[in-house]
Amino acid sequence: MKNTLKVQRAIKDLTQDDLAKEIGVSRQTINSIEKGRYVPSTVLALKLSAVFDISVNEFFELESDD
Amino acid sequence: MSRETICDKERTKIEKLNKFQFPSKFKKIGYYITFITFGMMIAKGYIDEPDWVKPVLSGILLLGMLMISMSRDKIEDEYIDSLRSQSYRFSFVVVVLYALIQPLINFGVGILFDKTENIQGFDYFQVLFFMLVVQLMAFYQLKRVSKLG
Repeated sequence: MKNTLKVQRAIKDLTQDDLAKEIGVSRQTINSIEKGRYVPSTVLALKLSAVFDISVNEFFELESDD
Repeated sequence: MSRETICDKERTKIEKLNKFQFPSKFKKIGYYITFITFGMMIAKGYIDEPDWVKPVLSGILLLGMLMISMSRDKIEDEYIDSLRSQSYRFSFVVVVLYALIQPLINFGVGILFDKTENIQGFDYFQVLFFMLVVQLMAFYQLKRVSKLG
């Protein structure tokens, strides 16, 4: 699964640490989501969507092997 | 009571047990207990102690390590939780394989060096100690890797 978290974060000028604090997770979590190593739960996806004010579908995209 | 309610209750109990963790400050206490007990176990080799000391120290050491293993991280989120689960799974598999293979290796080495060794198993302390060490190291390593870019 691909995601646009890094881009969205850059648009909002947020560091990984800022974002992590805002949604109450660790910086490793944000880093791992950005690198595609971790697929967040629906709860976390919705929290991210609320912070950036875009829908979950705009954040995450399925890849052919998903 | 209906069957579903009983099943729900059972599931809730297991989930509660699974989610149980010590507060993060217990990790430090666990480290103190582990290192002090480990030091005492090494020192014990040089001093004559009664027989009951070894099993007691082994038990305390395992408890200390379990405390480290079951303490929350400062930020305990779903990702850390998934890394923790991975480390438990990894240590379980590694220890079962190790426990199966290691006695055979010992036996093989014994033959090579012309010693008549029997295939010996492990005592519970060795297995549990090794399992906890592998789990803690795997968890630490997974967290370290995820910090890197």
